[in-house]
Amino acid sequence: MDSSCAQQRPCAHKSASVLANDQLAERTWRLRLHGPEVAALAQPGQFFMVRIAGRTDPLLGRPFALYDTVLDGQGGLVGLEIVHLVVGKMTTLLSGLKPGDSVEIWGPLGMRFPAVPDHVARVTLVAGGIGQTPFLAYSRELLGGRGFAGKSAQKVVDKVELVYGARRESLLAGLDAFVQAGACVLPCTEDGSLGLKGRVTDGLDTLEKPEWIVACGPEPMLYAVARWARERGVPCQVSLETPMACGLGICFSCVVKVASSEQASGWDYQRVCIDGPTFDAANLIDLQK
Amino acid sequence: MIPPTALSTKLGRLHLPNPVLVASGTFGYAREMAGLVDFKKLGGIVPKTVTLNPRPGNPPPRTAETTSGLLNAIGLDNDGLEYFLQNHLPWLASTEVACPIVLNIAAKSADEFPRMAARVKGLPGIAALELNLSCPNVAGGIDFATKPDLCRAVVASARDACPDLPLLAKLTPNVTNIVEIAQGAADGGCDAVSLVNTFLGIAIDWRRKKPILGNGMGGLSGPAIKPLALRCVWQVARAVNIPIVGIGGIATIDDVMEFMVAGASAVQMGTVSFYDPTAATRVIDQLPEALATLGVSSVAQAIGLVSKTWHPAI
Repeated sequence: MDSSCAQQRPCAHKSASVLANDQLAERTWRLRLHGPEVAALAQPGQFFMVRIAGRTDPLLGRPFALYDTVLDGQGGLVGLEIVHLVVGKMTTLLSGLKPGDSVEIWGPLGMRFPAVPDHVARVTLVAGGIGQTPFLAYSRELLGGRGFAGKSAQKVVDKVELVYGARRESLLAGLDAFVQAGACVLPCTEDGSLGLKGRVTDGLDTLEKPEWIVACGPEPMLYAVARWARERGVPCQVSLETPMACGLGICFSCVVKVASSEQASGWDYQRVCIDGPTFDAANLIDLQK
Repeated sequence: MIPPTALSTKLGRLHLPNPVLVASGTFGYAREMAGLVDFKKLGGIVPKTVTLNPRPGNPPPRTAETTSGLLNAIGLDNDGLEYFLQNHLPWLASTEVACPIVLNIAAKSADEFPRMAARVKGLPGIAALELNLSCPNVAGGIDFATKPDLCRAVVASARDACPDLPLLAKLTPNVTNIVEIAQGAADGGCDAVSLVNTFLGIAIDWRRKKPILGNGMGGLSGPAIKPLALRCVWQVARAVNIPIVGIGGIATIDDVMEFMVAGASAVQMGTVSFYDPTAATRVIDQLPEALATLGVSSVAQAIGLVSKTWHPAI
């Protein structure tokens, strides 16, 4: 309901040509788009709406996190990458795009990941399935490998851990990229085909107590991670994806219950697209049960 | 060459610089679109429906995509009239926006319409009032636009409470005979009827054995409903002497022209703003050429061109 947070953030609506489209893992594709203007605005934690022009089925754009920015040989900004899992009409179409094809893109949208408090030296990222996608750019930024939105690269923390869970090894995408970015990666698979056999919370159990958790993935996983963090007194941020028609804040579809002292009920609906997508897990009503 | 002044249009007492507005509930409070859309180009902005008291809205999921369409059950999520007047109206009325603002209001009971209309009487920055008589998603709410007499009475009460402001009545297509309802609204004294709100529909996830929307049913919008909405405009244009604002799946210049020649004096573009945020201003740029193609030199000449002249072959 709260409409006061609608801020004007730099955002662009462009037609972007496909530079490359590569399969990273089972049903998982990385789409590289040309678009220096859009890429120059993007920060880790933000997302883009992507759509194929000239057709009404599928109709709406789909939200995708900034996976990475694309640089040329001289370090100049060329475009950006998104990574997606093929689950429906739009992602099936996207996986079939060829270099030279074009898509409509608008963004960056939403807020970047919140600042890590000064005392935190180690950030623990927890990803479930395709929920890993906002974390590559973030790992680069935290470890000083790359700057975003005009800022130069600067090391923010000493260590980034990625606890990355999937059903099986074939669904884990981009492990090399995370390792290359300097993150310590702990894969967790439910069938034990790679890394730890178990879930991300089993992975968290094996680590030194985290200082600052950021999680992204399916709802049951976020629920489990938020609970794990709460029971141990670890601050936990979660990046959400909810059904979204516009990504711009105009449709009021993607709302989530957020704690609010101003409401008699103790909560208010906020729009994930502009008030999020990252929220403090402690403020999300549905993660407290 | 068609001069910009030829794009202006009239809805009773409401004069608009051009006939393309953005529809309520599909453009937020406009602020969200700053930087993407050049508001000054628009014929008008209809902000998201405002109710007297705050409403949290319906539980998610609130939208579901269907073939070329979108089902929604947002539930008039808004912070209430006072909040709107304090926090949104000053900006909407500012030079930063500089286009006509049509305040869309909805009510739980018939007496709330005149109360709200009286509250905004004389306030600067509001070009017209649009009564949302037709939201399909409000549990317990009365659908004011399903009976001609009720529709007439509600429109008349709002007009009496705020006589100086042009008044639009936004009607539901979920009725047997929309012509009767539009006649009721016209008799109540509105300046124009906005045709139409969403079509009641449902999407079901049979594997999970439940509706997709949190609210169960919802309102269908988008290109899928365009022929249905166009039919409503056509029927009313041929039967009722009242200006019409066409709404329903309008996404392209061709859609705008179809609604105008069918009898709409203006149109509102809605769902398209979700998937093509700059569609409305682009269509406005294309309007002069389309009018020339039609062989007319102004919007006024295009309105009702087909519905007035065409008769079924005997």
